[in-house]
Amino acid sequence: MANITKKVSWSSRCDEFGAVGEETPLLNGSDQARPLRQDSASGRPKEIAHNEKLLSLKFESLDYDNIENQLFLEEERRMSFLAFRCLEISRWVICGLIGFLTGLIACFIDIVVEQLAGIKYKVIKENIVRFTEAGGLSISLILWAVLNSSFVMLGAIMVAFFEPIAAGSGIPQIKCYLNGVKIPRVVRLKTLVIKVCGVICSVVGGLAVGKEGPMIHSGAVVAAGVSQGRSTSLKRDFKIFEYFRRDTEKRDFVSAGAAAGVSAAFGAPVGGVLFSLEEGASFWNQMLTWRIFFASMISTFTLNFFLSVYHNKTGDLSNPGLINFGSFESEAMGYNLYEIPLFMAMGALGGLLGALFNFLNYWLTIFRIRYVHRPCLQVMEAVLVAAVTAAVAFIMIYFSVDCQPLAPDHTEEYPLQLFCADGEYNSMATAFFNTPERSVRSLFHNPRGTYNALTLGLFTLTYFFLACWTYGLSVSAGVFIPSLLIGAAWGRLCGILLASTTSTASTWADPGKYALIGAAAQLGGIVRMTLSLTVIMMEATGNVTYGLPIMLVLMTAKIVGDYFQEGLYDIHIKLQSVPFLHWEAPATSHWLTAREVMSSPVICLNRIEKVGTIVDILSNTSTNHNGFPVVVQVSVDDEPAKLCGLILRSQLIVLLKHKVFVELARSRLTQRKLQLKDFRDAYPRFPPIQSIHVSQDERECMMDLTEFMNPTPYTVPLETSLPRVFKLFRALGLRHLVVVDDENRVNGLVTRKDLARYHLGKHGLEELHLAQT
Amino acid sequence: MFRHRYVLVFLLLAVDIYIFGVSDAVNVTASDSATKPQQDPIYPSPSSSVVNSPVFKPAVDSAFSISLLSSFPDDLEISEYCSELLRLFGQRYVTYVDCLVPSARPVKVCENCSPGYQSLHEVFMNISSDQVGPGNVSCRNTILSSDRLMLVFLLYSNVDLIWKKSNCENCVTGDLKGPKNDTLYYLTLLNQTITCFDKYKQGNLSELCKNCKTAYKNLNDLYSGMEANNTLCIDLEDAMNMTRKLWSKKFHCSFPREETVPVVAVSAFLLFLPIVFYLSSFLHSEQKKRKLIHPQRAKSYSSLMNIQDKKS
Repeated sequence: MANITKKVSWSSRCDEFGAVGEETPLLNGSDQARPLRQDSASGRPKEIAHNEKLLSLKFESLDYDNIENQLFLEEERRMSFLAFRCLEISRWVICGLIGFLTGLIACFIDIVVEQLAGIKYKVIKENIVRFTEAGGLSISLILWAVLNSSFVMLGAIMVAFFEPIAAGSGIPQIKCYLNGVKIPRVVRLKTLVIKVCGVICSVVGGLAVGKEGPMIHSGAVVAAGVSQGRSTSLKRDFKIFEYFRRDTEKRDFVSAGAAAGVSAAFGAPVGGVLFSLEEGASFWNQMLTWRIFFASMISTFTLNFFLSVYHNKTGDLSNPGLINFGSFESEAMGYNLYEIPLFMAMGALGGLLGALFNFLNYWLTIFRIRYVHRPCLQVMEAVLVAAVTAAVAFIMIYFSVDCQPLAPDHTEEYPLQLFCADGEYNSMATAFFNTPERSVRSLFHNPRGTYNALTLGLFTLTYFFLACWTYGLSVSAGVFIPSLLIGAAWGRLCGILLASTTSTASTWADPGKYALIGAAAQLGGIVRMTLSLTVIMMEATGNVTYGLPIMLVLMTAKIVGDYFQEGLYDIHIKLQSVPFLHWEAPATSHWLTAREVMSSPVICLNRIEKVGTIVDILSNTSTNHNGFPVVVQVSVDDEPAKLCGLILRSQLIVLLKHKVFVELARSRLTQRKLQLKDFRDAYPRFPPIQSIHVSQDERECMMDLTEFMNPTPYTVPLETSLPRVFKLFRALGLRHLVVVDDENRVNGLVTRKDLARYHLGKHGLEELHLAQT
Repeated sequence: MFRHRYVLVFLLLAVDIYIFGVSDAVNVTASDSATKPQQDPIYPSPSSSVVNSPVFKPAVDSAFSISLLSSFPDDLEISEYCSELLRLFGQRYVTYVDCLVPSARPVKVCENCSPGYQSLHEVFMNISSDQVGPGNVSCRNTILSSDRLMLVFLLYSNVDLIWKKSNCENCVTGDLKGPKNDTLYYLTLLNQTITCFDKYKQGNLSELCKNCKTAYKNLNDLYSGMEANNTLCIDLEDAMNMTRKLWSKKFHCSFPREETVPVVAVSAFLLFLPIVFYLSSFLHSEQKKRKLIHPQRAKSYSSLMNIQDKKS
């Protein structure tokens, strides 16, 4: 029952393996001879090393399109007006619950991280203080490295052995989900648990990571779980919200959950809504937006409230997010017109550095996929990274000669003195010997003179490489905070350098302000988000006047960065071989028509089909199709037949399970009629065909699909251009699109992977390979 | 916090006064218009009565004030009691400031001037209290908030700010008369340390570092403890700062960076591990291969070919 997702499934496609060359075939124009089609009979599948130009078979589309079969119509007829109102109300209730639970999770993560990190830093600090005097600092170093490594090992073991999908920030996966790709296991309860524990381990383990990205994933899982009113992992069914057990509804709630996650992470409810809008809004309406906003607000409020209880200030609602940038209110934080070009220059620098980051991370990830794919190796790698992070930080602190007295209202909890004069503290340690969130805040708010230029430069350099190395490890951790930290460090450096150039500059070049701009530039350069990131930054600083500079900075960063390299999330989506549909079909693809795009021939079913045939088709592992056009009568000689409907694998499996055979219906008149509820109960983990026993006698029975198939599937004629097909597919969230000829005969089927394989490369239109992963 | 509360109180007062003032003015004009015909002949008499009144005798010193005061009606002016308070305030203010300035460097503000603050504070409390003094007058409104400048309040709030910032309350006893026991103990330790410094200052500095270490360490630990408890005042902080500077910067007794070799060795070892790891996994791990799957589209292609053939 549980391993359906492990099986690959693939819509309507005959799998005859063909030899395909290493190079991506170019589709420059119709004049070229089609390459590599001749030797398709060579038998053995060709194997190549993993690269970004692949599409994996393990990903399927979500069934966003509503199946308007007779069962659906009957149910709708039976439902009263009141029932529809109740549905609408329960949608609101669910959104409230999503926000509440997401806020609680954020609160839990925050408190546990603070406590554990506090203990860790206290132990290390005491050790360092003792050994500074007595000698033996190398032991402190070893202690630090061992503590870090053991936390990270715990987190990495959980992720690598139990739930690999929980690795990383989870934003690419949620992006894919909202795009309409069903990523196996991504919204399971187990994933959530591993994710939360994993992120605690990796942040406490001192890696160059943040806990904000995982919040978005956690929110999404919460949404997917709450809206279903049950947990298949826990085998508990609360018998509520049964109507929402469909991909359509679930996906809407997941977008609310993602928004709630962003909102909890950054204290940015509007930013959260815009994040959902930017990343996944193919299907958007105003009521949904309003509900998502509600979920976001509730989530911020919950986090706020519980943190205020935790900080013994019950009712003080001023802890809006996990990362709190603090307020930028003071006089020097204002900016002037002449600073705008400086900001934009910093944006360009952020774009450059971001592209470099992504480029390095891209090669590292390819290496990891190719060579570091065994779980034990992944754990070992994470442990090594943790140890090296500790060692590098220690060396930096040890050799730093930058000693500064603490400001009267300092926030550093663990200042290290080391070899500084009494009363002064190592300023490298304020950056390294701290959780990344706190370091970001110190960089934003510490007064002028807390860091000298050399310290900041060295910090930026080391942290850049550490963060780049860390992202993509098999630990659950986000990239937001490290990016902010790198950016804040070099931004502050810019501020200090500016202030030292001219005497007048020292009045307006506040290092904290430039740290903020640098942070925005670096984050924009790495993740390339635009609207949502601007609003998130604006809300996190709580200062609307920074809207303009942050927008300009993110714009420049994106333009400059896109010139060299894609955004980090897009790179990772590509490297995972996900059939991701962008907003538009690739340019210059109008000459391609449905005829070339579609898969053909298609396996069709008769309206009244023999059970044996259905079972055989479903059990055929080489062609793991998911949707089957239903035709009036399959012709013997493979001639296309007339289309009359479309039926999904999941529906057929439920039908087989309930043995809805024509003969049985005749013999047992009392047999209960199948309802939509039966389909919903099996959702989302439909049993595999192997688990359904069909006896030899039953194989001879017939099945009437008329009642269950979608009688009006979307179709396109053969001559439809690719962008047109694409638009239809993307806008309606389709999973199967039947290609028919002028007599409504099934000629082919277009699925997500048929469309996603075209992309615009360096040399024009390219085609991605399909691969088994 | 305190200052804010004061400001709030005075704002309220100011509003009160304003309302009173308005109603008074209305009354005055009303009664004026009613009584004007009768009083017209003896119009100058109020001013002369003010000048001659025994209450205001002491204030009438210069010709300038005579001319100014002569224009105010009797009941709006400051009572003798209040002016006495004001004079006292001025005196003590001067004393306190006189004390503060010489104690600025090295900071001895708490040690020397706490009694001065105490007496100044007393007067101000008298002025600002609601209680009615002799002659049934309260000086709060007249002295503190009759005008835009609110000079007395401004002066006092400055001094109060200095007091708050200096945290002297942590070092002196409740009645602000003398130092607390903790402070005395601290000062003893401080004196020991300084004496020790003086003793060895001339000779070899490493000698000093060795011999004064216990004294300095005791002092430093006590200070750290007080810092954690928030029981420090500016005097002690400043003294410690100076001592620390002497110790670290002048005598160079901070910890030296002498374990470079083991630290570098350990970190080099840790940095070396990933290289080994990546190399070994590159050489020994089996590269993950992907099976390519070729989707069949032969039919459509052939038909496309046919179309192209037809076209050509």
